Amino acid sequence: MHLLALALIAAVVSGLAAIERKGALQLMLSRPIVVAPVLGALFGDAHGGLMLGVPLELLFLGGVNLGGNLPDNESLLAAALTSMVVPAGLAGHGTDEALAALGFALLFPLALLGRRMERAAERRNTALYEEAMSRAAGGDVRAARVNLRGLLLPFAATAAICFFCVLASPALALLRARLPPGLVGGFAGGWHAVWALAAASAIRAIREPRAPVLAAISAAATGALYLFVRGLP
Amino acid sequence: MRGTVLARVFVRSLFLQAAWNPRGMQNLGFADAISPALDELYPDERQRAQALVRHLEFFNCHPYLAAAILGGAIRLEERVARGEAAEDSVSAFKRALGPAFAALGDGFFWLALRPAAALAAAITEPHLGLWCIAVFLGLYNGLHVGTRVWLFVSGYRRGEGIVQVVGRAHLASGTGLLKACAAVLAGAIAVRSVIAAGIGGRPFHALLVFSTIVLSAALLPRFRFVWAVYIALLLGLALGGSFF
Repeated sequence: MHLLALALIAAVVSGLAAIERKGALQLMLSRPIVVAPVLGALFGDAHGGLMLGVPLELLFLGGVNLGGNLPDNESLLAAALTSMVVPAGLAGHGTDEALAALGFALLFPLALLGRRMERAAERRNTALYEEAMSRAAGGDVRAARVNLRGLLLPFAATAAICFFCVLASPALALLRARLPPGLVGGFAGGWHAVWALAAASAIRAIREPRAPVLAAISAAATGALYLFVRGLP
Repeated sequence: MRGTVLARVFVRSLFLQAAWNPRGMQNLGFADAISPALDELYPDERQRAQALVRHLEFFNCHPYLAAAILGGAIRLEERVARGEAAEDSVSAFKRALGPAFAALGDGFFWLALRPAAALAAAITEPHLGLWCIAVFLGLYNGLHVGTRVWLFVSGYRRGEGIVQVVGRAHLASGTGLLKACAAVLAGAIAVRSVIAAGIGGRPFHALLVFSTIVLSAALLPRFRFVWAVYIALLLGLALGGSFF
């Protein structure tokens, strides 16, 4: 598929995910474990998307939007990472651990940028509220319809970022192709480290005093079961 | 109230946070959602605009549990329109239930059900592949969508009695159970990461993953997350590249 077509797909899907994340539905369709494989499937490599989505989901499991507190934007990172890594993999030798870690290292700051973007959208929404209030006070019974205009900024900003991530994917493919073998192994190790951090984040995400103890018991039991099954003839 | 009007209110409630803002929080979404019911109740435009201004006041709740308050607010608006209740009874109802329902919904949906469903999907991913997405969405939305519809209908039927209905829903006890399940799944995921890293004769990768999990689980709250991410990546890079 032409790169521009992939970029348009990424823009539409990531934009929709951005508004689903908080403004509409909240059916969890924008979570990394959903949006990354869906985007990957649309690009032609669903498993590449899944490989990125699962650890990202665990990494950001504890991010919760409570009241005015904003978590890092996991949906933007997942969509942008998939938009850059999967097309780069399709152009090269597939989505592997080294490519995933390289893309992740480059794009992780987008999760923080996403939070800033969300704060900016909230400030803009205050202006919408003031507009609705003044129109309603003037007798306009349709004043609250401005509500849906709050979805425009998250859609447009996320769509634009993911569009450019697809366009930048050939540069990532080139970078991956030129990595010396030692660094390829290094980035593969980096991806394992991201998985480790994701597993630890998942344990911390369960805000319950007994969680670390329960997780440790479960880990010991799972490890013992694995060794037992491996030892079977 | 006609069923079609209630259905339109419910559909609009799915956009409750579209224009979330620091001053009124979910006020615009709430006012927009309840508008079809106000159109039905107040044929006079001046009265309708006054009712709309009432609903543009500050409102904050968990977006799912807000469905119960929305249903209850329609019931109360019916009584206000008939002159059986004071206008400020609707505001008082929203103010009283918003924070309590928010705490209940945050604890159950964000901090228990979502982690449990995501971890169940992650643990089944090596066996189910892409079907793990269905596990996640099925577990989460099977409960979420049903609860949201039930709360809206119950809120409309019972009005102020919605408090007793929610109280009998055992959300608080379900929260503890789901968190325990999530913790067990998280432990299994941790072991899976260690095993996956060691596959292919890479015992030092497995050791790195094990150490990172233990250290991160202990130290994460004291670290900025972004630093933790890049330190983990650098450690993996150094070990994977055999720089040690």
